Amino acid sequence: MRSPFANGMRPRALAVAVVLTAWFVLVLVRLVHLQVFEHARLKSDVLSQSQNEIAVYPTRGTITDRNGKILARSLPVESVYFSPVRTEPPSRQMEQIARLRGILDLSAKDLARIGARVEKRSGYILIKRKADPDVAARAFALGVKGLFLQGESKRFYPQQNLAAHVLGGVGIDDNGLAGVELQYDRLLEGEKGKRLLMLDARRRSYSFETITEAKPGQDLRLTIDETIQYIAESELEKAVTVTGAKWGTVVVMDSSTGEILALANAPSYAPGDYPPESEVGRNQAIARNFEPGSTFKIVTAAAARACGRVGFGEIYDCRKGSIMVGGAAVRDHKPLGVLGFSGVFIESSDVVTIMVAQEIVARGLYDMIRAFRFGEKTGIDLPGEEQGIIHPLSTWRTSSFRVAIGYEISVTALQILRAMNIYAARGLLVRPHIALDRPAGIAEGEPAVLPEKIVGELVPVFEAVVEEGTGKPARLEGFNIAGKTGTAQKIDRAIGAYSSRLHLASFVGFVPAERPALSMIVVIDEPQGTLQYGGQVAAPVFREIAARVLRYLRVVPNAAPPAVITASLAKGGRP
Amino acid sequence: MVHRRYGLKEIALGAGFILLLLVILTFYIWYQTEAIQLGYRIGELEVRINRMKEDIKRLEAKRSELLSLRRIEGIARGELGLVDPAPGQVLYEGRDLEPKKERP
Repeated sequence: MRSPFANGMRPRALAVAVVLTAWFVLVLVRLVHLQVFEHARLKSDVLSQSQNEIAVYPTRGTITDRNGKILARSLPVESVYFSPVRTEPPSRQMEQIARLRGILDLSAKDLARIGARVEKRSGYILIKRKADPDVAARAFALGVKGLFLQGESKRFYPQQNLAAHVLGGVGIDDNGLAGVELQYDRLLEGEKGKRLLMLDARRRSYSFETITEAKPGQDLRLTIDETIQYIAESELEKAVTVTGAKWGTVVVMDSSTGEILALANAPSYAPGDYPPESEVGRNQAIARNFEPGSTFKIVTAAAARACGRVGFGEIYDCRKGSIMVGGAAVRDHKPLGVLGFSGVFIESSDVVTIMVAQEIVARGLYDMIRAFRFGEKTGIDLPGEEQGIIHPLSTWRTSSFRVAIGYEISVTALQILRAMNIYAARGLLVRPHIALDRPAGIAEGEPAVLPEKIVGELVPVFEAVVEEGTGKPARLEGFNIAGKTGTAQKIDRAIGAYSSRLHLASFVGFVPAERPALSMIVVIDEPQGTLQYGGQVAAPVFREIAARVLRYLRVVPNAAPPAVITASLAKGGRP
Repeated sequence: MVHRRYGLKEIALGAGFILLLLVILTFYIWYQTEAIQLGYRIGELEVRINRMKEDIKRLEAKRSELLSLRRIEGIARGELGLVDPAPGQVLYEGRDLEPKKERP
């Protein structure tokens, strides 16, 4: 056999060998270029084409009332995403997406946004966030290439507006923005997870791998009672509508534990559509400072008894009907004649309360205000609480004695309620709270704010306020109510002085006075029309709520109201 | 070339061994297939369980919505014409109540 390298064939064989070697070298150079120099870019391209890492949102914890009734719950929904198909022109893909328009309710703006991202061939594009599962399933059934669904959850408030200001609301990512949703966000939200989607050549997801498991949030049980909350809201709403007031608030608290049974504001909003208009979203019970007016006399009365200079035998002449304080006149709401110490508070005489305060002297009054913890937050577990405004004693002027009648001081409704509750709790300060598993409202070893003797002396005075004084409209047959009315004039910004038209009407009290079950405050801001006093506007709301709530709680009246038929089992009788 | 002749016993043993191998292999393949099938089935059932749990949560929320007091009161007053009980219609059971004394 003849060798291929023999004679004439050798140059041709050499040429072939050179060409082959050059070709191998070229391939090798290209491989080195792709595998070494272009490695990082190409690897990321491959990963972006074959995988997608997405966040998995955990299910937020459920919020219930004290009896386990659902107030807020997260339910599964589907978010619709689109992963652009690289092999198809963007215009064709947009034609496909346009088919979803009707089902997913996409606007022209949405389509423009999606179109821009399809042009850029972005990793994955959000088409519709948190769509109803049925709607998402209908969209998916159209078979649009590159479309995929991602399970998420959406906050649902089955009771609509109920306890809106307590619950607050969440944002689009289910993050708490107000109320307990914000206060207990960490507990409720759980922990986000991560998931890796595997995509085929057409960028359709065929499998997924969980990188980090999402941890669901914990449930939260509130002290709120759905029924009491509903009663408070419906009565408050009625009062605010009838009086044409700007806003109103009611807080109902368990006198001994500080558990908030209801916290209502009117007007209200739907927590499912958070955020509402700015003012409507404000929790007026804790986030609004105001001059309280005569409800603050519950502090003055305590200071008077504690200082030891004012006795129940004192007689005050207030026939003049006015007194000058720091160059300005303070007047009674009507001529009151001669009053004893109890009568001052029963008839709510501003004139005599100022006289009493002057006997107490500023230091005694100031110390009692601090003892009642005004100027400090109550510590309720809700965000946005105000602490009120108290001027330091060193800055007090003669006019500062108006503090005794609830002016020149700012408080929140909850602070006034907590102060009144000191009488209900036999002198102890009870901390209000809204989450049921929080510790009891009375701190162990904390000294009493008021001695039992003073409480025992003053509670009958506040009972008499309701039985025969300014708080008569709060009277409830069969129950003794201890309470105090308040009517504060408001500053008219137009004239820069206290207005005779603008009032803040309030009533604070507890019931039954001898075995308190509930403490409650009602505040109505700027009632219109002829009825503007706390006794006329707020006290009837207190009565209506108390009547319904006591019946609901099965609190038996002390004495049978005249028309009530009473029934009881005879001894040895069968039920 | 010289070929060794196998006895009947040897052939039967060899055939039995091959058969056994085939049986084991078949069992292994069947076992693997069944395991994979069961895995799919378990996966499907897990998805079903999760969906049912979600349905329970959804139904509980729906029940809560249907039993909301605003709705119930609306039906009671609006559709059924119910009214609040008058003071004389309230019975307090299980306790002797003294008629209220007027405050002096």
